[in-house]
Amino acid sequence: MRIIACFKAVPEEQDIVVEKDRQLNFDKAEWKIGTYDLNAIEAGKQLVEAEGGQLTGLAVGGTALDSSKLKKNILSRGLDDLYLVIDEKAENADTYQTAKLLEASIRKIGEFDLVLCGAGSSDLYAQQTGNQVGELLGVPVINSVNKITPQGDKVIVERVLEDSVQVLEVSLPAVLSVTSEINVPRIPGMKDILAAKKKPVTEFTVEDIGAAYVQPTSLVLSTQAPEQAERKLNILEGDSEETIDEFVKLFNEALK
Amino acid sequence: MAIKNVWFITDDLSAIGELAAGARKLGEHVTAVLFSEQDQAKEAIACGADQVYLFKKTEGSFIEGYSKEIAGLIRAEQAGLVMVYSSASGRLIAGRIASQLETSAISNVSDLYIEDDHVVAEHMVYGGLALRKEKALSDTVVLTVGLGVFEANAKDESREGKVTEITGEAENAGIKVIEIRPKQGETVNLKVAKKVVGVGRGFANEEDLKMAEDLASATGAELACSRPIAEGEKWMGKERYVGVSGAVLKPDVYVAIGISGQIQHMVGVNDAKTIVAINKDKNAPIFKQADIGLVGDLYTVLPKITEKLKA
Repeated sequence: MRIIACFKAVPEEQDIVVEKDRQLNFDKAEWKIGTYDLNAIEAGKQLVEAEGGQLTGLAVGGTALDSSKLKKNILSRGLDDLYLVIDEKAENADTYQTAKLLEASIRKIGEFDLVLCGAGSSDLYAQQTGNQVGELLGVPVINSVNKITPQGDKVIVERVLEDSVQVLEVSLPAVLSVTSEINVPRIPGMKDILAAKKKPVTEFTVEDIGAAYVQPTSLVLSTQAPEQAERKLNILEGDSEETIDEFVKLFNEALK
Repeated sequence: MAIKNVWFITDDLSAIGELAAGARKLGEHVTAVLFSEQDQAKEAIACGADQVYLFKKTEGSFIEGYSKEIAGLIRAEQAGLVMVYSSASGRLIAGRIASQLETSAISNVSDLYIEDDHVVAEHMVYGGLALRKEKALSDTVVLTVGLGVFEANAKDESREGKVTEITGEAENAGIKVIEIRPKQGETVNLKVAKKVVGVGRGFANEEDLKMAEDLASATGAELACSRPIAEGEKWMGKERYVGVSGAVLKPDVYVAIGISGQIQHMVGVNDAKTIVAINKDKNAPIFKQADIGLVGDLYTVLPKITEKLKA
């Protein structure tokens, strides 16, 4: 199986600082691989381990992708090779711009059986890039995929809906977005980290993949931490009878 | 200025009232796209739609296959705004339609209004850390929206509208539905619960959750959890997980037990009228966001609290 797993470089959300004016400060936040993208890579790895084939990593983005630490990290997760489209023009791309760039990259890479995406990027979480790429490529596209079982030139997928599970037969090639519950991404071992050094990395610009410029869909007006609701902060401490009685009294009033 | 043509699309009938109200608020002429029976079309019209496209849905049909046809109708009728209910199917339809219309799908919008003749959408980014305001620039704006964004209007059964039934089959080259089975475990709708008890990592073992269940049943609350409990430990189903990629709630009372109060979780309950917290760590961020708090070991205090509440 020829599998392409897509991922995105995102800022480490734990290190984003909310300033007093509710603006976000990214100075301390390092770029990392999107949390949910790791599920897509792991799903690809498991399929290649079981069926044989090749697992390719693919990302489009700005200069954040041009980090040796990030490249090593992604390659140590079992990729056979890695394609990166690094271009200022790909920075802050919206879902359609990203999907157009991924479409062009995938056509440039060539034949594939499966393109895998995560549930959503861990920074913007639009959950749309996979859906949009699939439609642009004109192949079957399924989101919310919780299980993938190869069957000849098809895959059987389980798709989680709100109150049911759909079992679908999907012919290849196809684009699937997996859930964050489909697997637990493994942590790379020393052997994987060493092997990562030998894996080929191909870097393209937007011109290299022949993608036309697409106008942005929207203009970001502001990105600000939400205003916190005023809370009463009536905090009691201890486990004495009186404290618990007092707490239960307040609690009971709130329940009314 | 209102938008001339606003469309809404939903595969979940419970969303008709709210989406129709939202579309009515923003647009002059409202079109609904539904996948079901005649009486739902009547309901959409009573809720505010002027016309309904009713697509055929049978057991085993894959309604996402209508995406291209819907996009064609949207283009032909020059809709300015398309709101898609953010179910799993709705999200896929939104993305496919957006690609057909050469635009993005703005996702999980929490507020929507018109400013200087443009649609402005607000949605959470960075795991709930921030709210982003975006001014949409495309001719047809496509976005996904969940429940709780708009308030349904009272139904007006005398309203009239045009219903067009689309009887053609969905275009589903390469996709075949083999089976639909009910989801394992119970289904729960946290969004309608007035009282919610949430559990977090403060619970050391799965069987200890019984203490939280007891409190929930004593107070008539629904049980919920933080992400590690649903996805890490798998002690509860994902439908009970509250947070940025889970349920976002507006209960009257939210009781956080053994939950530290990380922003990714709190974004799911920030709109609760009252937040009650129990945690043994007095420096836990939850105590900066609670109305009523008790610093104490839940293993000691929780059974006592439940006992006293029952008394």
